[in-house]
Amino acid sequence: MNTLKISLLAFALISTQSFVNTDSLPEASVIVKNTNQRDDGQFLTQTTTLELIDKRGRKKIQVAKSFRKYYGKDKAQAFFYQSPTNIRGTAFLTFDYVEKEDNRWLYLPALRKTRRISGSEKGDYFLGTDLTYEDVNLGSKISETDYHHKVMGTEVIDGRKCYVLENIPKTDKLKKELKYGKTKSWVDAEIWMVRKSEFWDVQGNFLKTLHIQDIKKIDGIWTAATLHVKNHKTQHQTYFRFSDIDYKTPIDDGLFTEESLVNGI
Amino acid sequence: MKKMQIKTRSTALLVLLLSVQNVLGQDTQPSSWKERLHFGLISEIDMAYEFKGQKLQKSEFIFKPELAYKFNKKVKVVGRGRIYAELSDNLDPGEPSQLSVSDFNKRLLIGDRTEVELRELYVHARVWKTINLRIGKQQIVWGETDGLKLLDVINPQYFREFILDDFEDSRIPLWSVKAEFPIRKLKVQLLWMPDQTYHSLIDPAAPFFPKSVFPVPPPGIQTALGPPGKPNDIVRDSDVGIKLSALIKGWDITANYLYYYDDFPVFYNSLSWLSTGEPLITINPKYERHHLLGATFNKPIKFVTLRGEVGYTLDQNFASTDPSAPMGIVQSDQLGSAIGLDVIKGENIISAQVFANYLIRDVPAFNRDRVEWNVSLLLSREFMNDSFKAEAIWVHSTNHGDGMLRPKLSYWLSSNVQVLLSGDIFYGNEEQLFGQFTDRSRVSTGFVWGI
Repeated sequence: MNTLKISLLAFALISTQSFVNTDSLPEASVIVKNTNQRDDGQFLTQTTTLELIDKRGRKKIQVAKSFRKYYGKDKAQAFFYQSPTNIRGTAFLTFDYVEKEDNRWLYLPALRKTRRISGSEKGDYFLGTDLTYEDVNLGSKISETDYHHKVMGTEVIDGRKCYVLENIPKTDKLKKELKYGKTKSWVDAEIWMVRKSEFWDVQGNFLKTLHIQDIKKIDGIWTAATLHVKNHKTQHQTYFRFSDIDYKTPIDDGLFTEESLVNGI
Repeated sequence: MKKMQIKTRSTALLVLLLSVQNVLGQDTQPSSWKERLHFGLISEIDMAYEFKGQKLQKSEFIFKPELAYKFNKKVKVVGRGRIYAELSDNLDPGEPSQLSVSDFNKRLLIGDRTEVELRELYVHARVWKTINLRIGKQQIVWGETDGLKLLDVINPQYFREFILDDFEDSRIPLWSVKAEFPIRKLKVQLLWMPDQTYHSLIDPAAPFFPKSVFPVPPPGIQTALGPPGKPNDIVRDSDVGIKLSALIKGWDITANYLYYYDDFPVFYNSLSWLSTGEPLITINPKYERHHLLGATFNKPIKFVTLRGEVGYTLDQNFASTDPSAPMGIVQSDQLGSAIGLDVIKGENIISAQVFANYLIRDVPAFNRDRVEWNVSLLLSREFMNDSFKAEAIWVHSTNHGDGMLRPKLSYWLSSNVQVLLSGDIFYGNEEQLFGQFTDRSRVSTGFVWGI
């Protein structure tokens, strides 16, 4: 009888260990901190190609030149559409502040006007893609302020060991704002970069998968060259492909102005 | 006089060339000419069917080529053209008048149905690190309002389709100079518009001729239209403007001043007697200068953006209903104001605006009240990752009870092909601004292809 008890106990321990070896895992806060402290350069200039594919496989391709600059922890980003011709000139400017409400402007060439748009809807979809403004804003980082994090174990993604984090919005209000009930992040255990994310809607339905691909070092900074997002509800997909990535060339403050949106690049 | 104008033009051109040459050599990008050159073409087909007339109201074929060349990060040249053909020759029948257009700005008319126009041609340069300079033919837009204009008066407009055409297409670009630079946290925009082009009015027989803005002489009295009193001195008669803008505690604020010629002439009347003893009213249109003082603001509050605009015009002349008004004209300052709310929730947009236009003096102006109120409402929703859009715009005059409703559906077939289906429904008293076009209500279908 004792032998049976010991065997069951041993089996239980081994089983638990095979799923979640929590003793050897870092704290969730450490993973989040390391991920967010990863250098992503003060400046970034790149060409973004958006490939939007609907459930019937019909593709829309849009190309934009994008710029990002950090001012301490605050961040300015500008996005200028280059093609197709029908939307060329459309431009988008955001200032993401840590301490205050974000600022966003959208320039529509058909109106020749810059429109101030409210910045509080984190869960709105970004320019017809399958990522929300908040997803785009975070990039390959993890929000510390909006979620409670829990380490679920490790898994291998694209041949690399990753920590699996479960992220639950801290309040129901945040759930509604983010439009997520839960997310999961797979963080590369060596370079501290998110390689994959999964998202569930507020009702708990599996919503979408983000796969971060073609990760390589550019100008000494780990960089993702492709993001693939698939929305499992709508079967719509978006590829974000980044090229001409440049972290070194300083970006003039004058680029992050309303006038710059109107004047174009 | 002609020689002097040519000399002034040559000097302006020289200044333009020198400014460009000065920065051309700077900050050259190590890219090939192919990367620096952009060519694009937008082709549009737009057909409208008029319910009342049971006929094709328009059949437009429009080609908009665009060429841009970036010399380096600081200098680019942009040119945009437009080939426009209205095959039913209905919107502005016969050869369109270009009386109100300057010599530099005239369209090339090919028969009655086709025209070729240089829409824009400008050099944009960033000089002395912080000054953005744009010289050439361009559109400059002020203001926060949609649909109805208060401060957006820098460029004149072609009223071929009343205000149904996109402002981008109906606005007439002007040869002008725009300079922008910061002074600490204040941003300054300086404007100089030497181009004496004004609103293009259409043939009185055209479907969208705005007869509600012109007083009708008493029956049986003959009228004669004199030549328009149009400014012609490129320097003395040019328009100038300044806009100061700043972001203060989240409020985006501008202060504007424009010294300009109103794009609508004032119609002075004089009564004389013919040799037959019959009375004759001679109408002499004259373009007049004004000072316009304005301001705009906007601020997002949660998911709502609040925006507003005011414009104060000094000493504006209006056609009068008072037969004893000297030359048929009365004068007052005019205050225009608008406030708008934009609510953006996901793919839904609700945008509401209230416009109030107030005559400071209580004068008997033709076909308007002392305070004119208009409201507008835009409802819009995007579906299928922004591929499909449904929207409706409603504009209503609360004083006169007339207005227009514009539902529209648009769908992106691919990256660069869009199809459109829309309606333009006017209602109200036919003597009022919108109501006069009740019989012009229509359904339209369009196709836009970009390469």
